[in-house]
Amino acid sequence: MDTLLSFRPLFDLFLIHLGFAYSQYIVLRAGAFSIGNVGLSAIGAYTAAILTVNYGLPLPVTLLAGAFAGLAFGALLAIPLARLRGVYQAIASLAFVQIVLSANLYAENVTGGAMGFSGIPKLVGTGTLLVFALATIHVMLAISRSRLGRAFDAVREDEGMAVSLGINAARTQAIAYMISGLLAGLFGSLEALHSYAVEPNQFGFHLIIVILSYVVLGGRRSVWGPLVGVALLIALPEISRPLADARIMIYGLILMAVMNFMPRGIVDTLVARRTRAANPEVRQAEVKG
Amino acid sequence: MTDLVLEHVHKNFGGVIASNDVSMRVPAGRITGLIGPNGAGKTTLINLITGMLSLSSGRVLFGGRDISAEPADKVARAGMGRTFQNIRLQKEASVLANVMVGFHRHETCSLVAAILGLPSSRREDALLRQKAMALLGRFGMAGHADSPAGSLAYGHQRKVEMMRALATDPDLILLDEPVAGMNDVEALQLGRIFRELADEGKAILLIEHNMRFVQELCDHVYVLDGGRLIAEGKPRDVVADPAVITAYLGEE
Ligand SMILES: Nc1ncnc2c1ncn2[C@@H]1O[C@H](COP(=O)(O)OP(=O)(O)OP(=O)(O)O)[C@@H](O)[C@H]1O
Ligand SMILES: [Mg+2]
Repeated sequence: MDTLLSFRPLFDLFLIHLGFAYSQYIVLRAGAFSIGNVGLSAIGAYTAAILTVNYGLPLPVTLLAGAFAGLAFGALLAIPLARLRGVYQAIASLAFVQIVLSANLYAENVTGGAMGFSGIPKLVGTGTLLVFALATIHVMLAISRSRLGRAFDAVREDEGMAVSLGINAARTQAIAYMISGLLAGLFGSLEALHSYAVEPNQFGFHLIIVILSYVVLGGRRSVWGPLVGVALLIALPEISRPLADARIMIYGLILMAVMNFMPRGIVDTLVARRTRAANPEVRQAEVKG
Repeated sequence: MTDLVLEHVHKNFGGVIASNDVSMRVPAGRITGLIGPNGAGKTTLINLITGMLSLSSGRVLFGGRDISAEPADKVARAGMGRTFQNIRLQKEASVLANVMVGFHRHETCSLVAAILGLPSSRREDALLRQKAMALLGRFGMAGHADSPAGSLAYGHQRKVEMMRALATDPDLILLDEPVAGMNDVEALQLGRIFRELADEGKAILLIEHNMRFVQELCDHVYVLDGGRLIAEGKPRDVVADPAVITAYLGEE
């Protein structure tokens, strides 16, 4: 029982980061190269923290407010990013993360500045996190099976083709940004109400790398990809302490190795292998093309 | 009736004039052919009609409405379906998934229902799966439903594109060399389907190099060369036209 309890903080971290990973996954699934979700998580976290501490609002209200703040800023972010593609989209979204970070640093009287915002009551435990994580997985699976998932896939694979079928690409990606923002805001709020304090740099470059590593390692297409990525990367450093100290370096190495040798990530590679086994003709086509 | 009318359509890419004062009519219920040597501007014309390229000047009217300035997705939703000469499929997705995305403009279940996985979304998904399977049956592709689209022979990939275009339930179908890479039997089967579609009241614009196919199928043919229309009329008359013969021979 004691050993089980000692794993609890790790499991909590897993659940929160699972939400972050899906907020990243959903924009990539729709073919948008945005990492703005990290900034949206910060917005959610500060919204929940401030409403709880300064205004004494109850948990459901602050979570809702955090999630909605993420959604609203996600919708705003979609407007400038709709004009950009590929690496330009990524750079612009990185700038957004930096703007949020700077705003949280400078607005000292509201956010506590560089010292962070502390004294947040711990209102969220493993049970709450688990409920939201499971609900998120359900939603991801539902989207995958729906017309929205089909539109995401079409826009990602070939925008011109998607458009020729009547799919509005900008609108489709805007929906992805909003869902991403909702998840980022929600799990940012959960993080704030789980860990007593938030500080600006918590939602910076470091978190971007960590979240990207989850999705790149696990896979960007199957709903199970991010889950596998988060589970592996959170468990890995725990296997040996020295690894934990070099966590971000190891993530970086894994990121480079995966992109070189398994560019689709673990789950999507396995899925492709299985379809190939079931359809021997594929091999021929691959040799050709 | 949803006729397509082109009025003085003009397009230049820098110095290259890809469409030069093209006026034509693609009536509902008919199969209209568009032929011409390589580089004549046939694909460009389809891209102009569907809003994937913008016109330098001229007008495109669809069902009497000027759609020249509308974005491609809006044109598609107005009832235009197309296939691509350089096949554009989601290669790793199944044939069924590739066809189902074509239903997009007719899907009615709400966004919230889709996101939450409510029963209405699941019902719609199941219904569309059935409709897609019916389309696959019509094209003799039911056995390939679960194959990744990219694994199929080119002829079959073209059929997937056609089924996807038909899933949008268009009033006008633009086919860019649909039977390229197919044998005569397969081409004949498709020809029969095209005729059925025209008889249902759809307008069809068919780009094809296979002259026998064009002669057998088309009610009316336009001939492009160097972006300009050089002939039009009954297929039989057009192939005998000296200007057409020169255009084709000159290219050899
Ligand atoms: N995006 C573009 N930019 C510049 N030139 C273009 C572009 N698209 C087409 N062209 C040029 O326009 C002309 C017509 O090309 P198009 O592809 O429409 O011909 P086509 O009749 O479809 O030929 P094919 O039978 O080979 O398919 C060609 O000279 C081509 O090089
Ligand atoms: Mg062409």
